[in-house]
Amino acid sequence: MSKIGVFICHCGENISATVNCGKVAEVAGKLEGVAYSTDYKYMCSDPGQTIIKQMIKEKGLDGVVVAACSPRMHEPTFRKACSEAGLNPYLCEMANLREHCSWVHDKSDATTQKAIDIVRTLVEKVKHNKPLSTIKVPVTKKALVIGGGIAGIQASLDIANAGHQVVLVEKEPSIGGHMSQLSETFPTLDCSQCILTPRMVEVAQHPNITLMTYAELEKLDGFIGNFKATIRKKAKSIDEKLCTGCGLCTTKCPTKKIPSEFNEGLGFRTAIYVPFPQAVPNKPVIDKLNCQYYLKGKCKVCEKVCPTGAIRFDQEDELVELEVGAVVVATGFNIMTTSEFPEYGYGKYPDVITGLQFERLASASGPTLGEIRRPSDGKIPEKIVFIACAGSRDPAKGKPYCSKICCMYTAKHAMLYQHKVHHGESYVFYMDIRAAGKNYDEFTRRAIVEDKVNYLRGRVSKVYEENGKLIVKGVDTLLNAKPVEIEVDMVVLASAGVANPGSEELAQKMHISYDAYNFFSEAHPKLKPVETNTAGIYLAGACQAPKDIPETVAAASGAAAKVAILFSQNELSREPVVAVVNRSAPPLYSTCVGCFMCATACPYSAIGEEEIKDRKGNVIKKVAKVNPGLCQGCGTCVAFCRSKSIDLDGYTNEQMYSEVMALLNE
Amino acid sequence: MNELIQKAKSLLESDTVQVVIGYGKGSADKTRAIFLTKPEDCDQLLFDSRCVQNLAVYLTKHEIKHLGKPAIVAPIPVLRSILQLAVENQLKESDLVILGVSPESKLIEFDSFGAIELFLNAYKIQIDEKYKATIDKIKAMPVSERFAFWIKELEPCFKCYACRAACPLCYCPKCTVENNQPQWIPAASHLLGNLEWHVMRAMHLAGRCTDCEACYNACPMGIPIHLLTKSMLQDVEEHFGPYGPSVGKRNTLSSFNPDDKESFIR
Ligand SMILES: Cc1cc2nc3c(=O)[nH]c(=O)nc-3n(C[C@H](O)[C@H](O)[C@H](O)COP(=O)(O)OP(=O)(O)OC[C@H]3O[C@@H](n4cnc5c(N)ncnc54)[C@H](O)[C@@H]3O)c2cc1C
Ligand code: SF4
Ligand code: SF4
Ligand code: SF4
Ligand code: SF4
Repeated sequence: MSKIGVFICHCGENISATVNCGKVAEVAGKLEGVAYSTDYKYMCSDPGQTIIKQMIKEKGLDGVVVAACSPRMHEPTFRKACSEAGLNPYLCEMANLREHCSWVHDKSDATTQKAIDIVRTLVEKVKHNKPLSTIKVPVTKKALVIGGGIAGIQASLDIANAGHQVVLVEKEPSIGGHMSQLSETFPTLDCSQCILTPRMVEVAQHPNITLMTYAELEKLDGFIGNFKATIRKKAKSIDEKLCTGCGLCTTKCPTKKIPSEFNEGLGFRTAIYVPFPQAVPNKPVIDKLNCQYYLKGKCKVCEKVCPTGAIRFDQEDELVELEVGAVVVATGFNIMTTSEFPEYGYGKYPDVITGLQFERLASASGPTLGEIRRPSDGKIPEKIVFIACAGSRDPAKGKPYCSKICCMYTAKHAMLYQHKVHHGESYVFYMDIRAAGKNYDEFTRRAIVEDKVNYLRGRVSKVYEENGKLIVKGVDTLLNAKPVEIEVDMVVLASAGVANPGSEELAQKMHISYDAYNFFSEAHPKLKPVETNTAGIYLAGACQAPKDIPETVAAASGAAAKVAILFSQNELSREPVVAVVNRSAPPLYSTCVGCFMCATACPYSAIGEEEIKDRKGNVIKKVAKVNPGLCQGCGTCVAFCRSKSIDLDGYTNEQMYSEVMALLNE
Repeated sequence: MNELIQKAKSLLESDTVQVVIGYGKGSADKTRAIFLTKPEDCDQLLFDSRCVQNLAVYLTKHEIKHLGKPAIVAPIPVLRSILQLAVENQLKESDLVILGVSPESKLIEFDSFGAIELFLNAYKIQIDEKYKATIDKIKAMPVSERFAFWIKELEPCFKCYACRAACPLCYCPKCTVENNQPQWIPAASHLLGNLEWHVMRAMHLAGRCTDCEACYNACPMGIPIHLLTKSMLQDVEEHFGPYGPSVGKRNTLSSFNPDDKESFIR
């Protein structure tokens, strides 16, 4: 026979205004198995908690129901109080009389009756509760950061400066990401490289950071505090220890006409190359897809000229296994290319370019050394059109979202153009100017007022070439939708920010969720913006949605703080609400039939296999096994298992059944 | 037929398998499942249009497993079940020898589950027009009428569980209905118990049932429970894409696809 204590809280007047708390306590006191019942104005207050503790000791209670507010609010409070009085905290349950009853009903007998019913179900549940103890999992205090853009750089530095080991994995030969390609940055127009390069160097020199460039995540197993990551280090075809980064090879390589990724195809690079002069690490890689030796078996010029003999044509990809406790995903974003815009010439016209290409033209380290020259003939454009929202906010292009950064960088581009081409004329076609942010609106105003950029509110329907000029056809909606036609020398598309190709696959590798546009999803849009649904994996920067640099850096520091919090403890305590596969007497051993459909159902990939063996070590049966470190207690597997072989501790079938039956069999 | 008998004999003689599961003569003009362990008994094997029982059901049974490695006579419905059992991790390729029988009664051997799938691509599960019409009619009924229809149909069920015993996919050694801690499904064959049992049976087979009709054939009361599973097949196709077992395919009900329509969630 149970000895349960029921404690009804008035919550000031929050509950007692519509529920007759005294009556609830009185009826509850008569329920089978209830040894004590009372009501009190504030159960969560010190005196309130003292009543509970005293009664546990005095009456020898073996279960407690606190009928008060939502367990989200005070379950930890009351469970702690119980454990202080010597009762296992998981023998304490909360009945939610506030959100589920008093707040949503008027004062009446029916409301009080509902409160009684709620209390009754919880009393029945507590009768079936078993003592549970928190699960402890060790923490490996080493973080994996994937992606070496400004997000990955910032997160790595913050974690490393907190005293923890970091492995930063970047798929390109150099870290830096898109920020390294930018000319000057809004809203202050400071030079992007100048603020970024010191950070890149700091990463390379930090004793706590191991940098792996030209490397990608191959596999991720495990769970919070205990991940096992496999990294593929692609063959760079050089011995990095011997290479001094002198760059002789890159000047002598005969394969010189490969479009440079860093310059967005506006310049060329060699087959053995360093993507840009400030690259970190400043050592070349051989691009196997373009190298004459790999293609035709002949050349090896680089090998001949290398003064230290660092070239290694026979190098192979290397797989490295890492044990890490946390993962920060910072793989960034990309933008739509001009070829995705049939209306603007399908990428056929060389002088219709993207914003990123414009950044390269405006950059002092770019192919034109910072002069705005059009790609087709190198002339300085006298007239230029910027098209904002190219693809963004356009359901027809499959991108109904706002890319957020384009309004700002378009204003920046127009300004940079006016600063560099004083007599030039610039036009911006826009839908709305979205410049929310510190000093952002002032920035766009400056473009319009001081730099005399012509802003036209309307869409561009078509761009075509005629006699060496680009004809831009659009409307000006502020002038009664008057059609406008402008003859220009160059068109810049502020094309939509999109998820990186391959991000879907990467998300699946890590078991994190992603949205309809393949951007990675945060656990909660407001309260958990840098967490993913998988504990121990965090998000930083534009891999989550298009973001500007300030926002990216803030998110990166946020993610780093989460990692530091995780690493501040040697062990993790987890709620013992986890699924368990049953065991039974031979010859069944477990009612689990090993169909492993629970494993496909589990959103956290928490279910693996276990072999049941006889004394000689022969496998008798393979059954499902839940990894308590990974299981989040969602219960999906329990609902799925046909043979009822999985149960959820703390919310067992028996507990749920007794709650339901308490309601049905009054 | 001779081909099949010779193959079965040689498999037993060479001890490649220890038992052959096939069809033999039953009482009256019926056929029944036979389990042959001696080469000389193989002449009892027969195959004709009366052989509708789904033999795959025996592959997971303890008693049969104890006899050793089986060879199984497998017309199309049995092949489908074997593939589904493989998808559910209940069979490995090395566990059995499959003596496939084509609709022209030709012996076809399969060396992998993939080969079965390839073969079955030409024989997709198809729900008979007459059943489709019946299901449409039932679905068109107003809720109260439909409820009355099923109450009437399910009323004679006395929970002999022959349907369950005949179904190759009901292989759990302990079925939910035998679970009494707690007893979600009432054991008695009263109205509520019958309804709950059949709703549960249909749900447990949703996305898995291969439409062999063994359950219906087994029911001594002739209850049209196959209408439920057939209707489920249609629903699965409508909401989640083509049904039918496929190696590497995840179970419809236990897996999630970002492009699932989710039109039933509002
Ligand atoms: C034209 C243009 C102009 C802009 N101008 C400004 C501006 O003036 N001011 C401003 O604040 N913001 C500006 N931005 C926005 C700015 O570029 C972004 O905020 C910033 O680059 C986001 O940083 P990130 O690290 O999140 O992503 P990224 O810069 O995209 O970096 C991601 C990194 O991860 C690597 N990576 C990707 N996938 C993998 C993988 N699978 N494994 C390993 N590594 C991987 C990539 O190679 C890259 O190095 C501009 C953007 C554009 C397009
Ligand atoms: S626990 Fe259930 S669903 Fe999971 S493998 Fe076992 S029987 Fe299948
Ligand atoms: S309770 Fe949820 S998280 Fe835990 S094993 Fe089951 S499905 Fe996975
Ligand atoms: S038709 Fe009946 S016996 Fe055949 S698989 Fe479906 S439920 Fe099982
Ligand atoms: S075989 Fe028929 S009578 Fe027996 S349990 Fe199944 S439906 Fe009921």
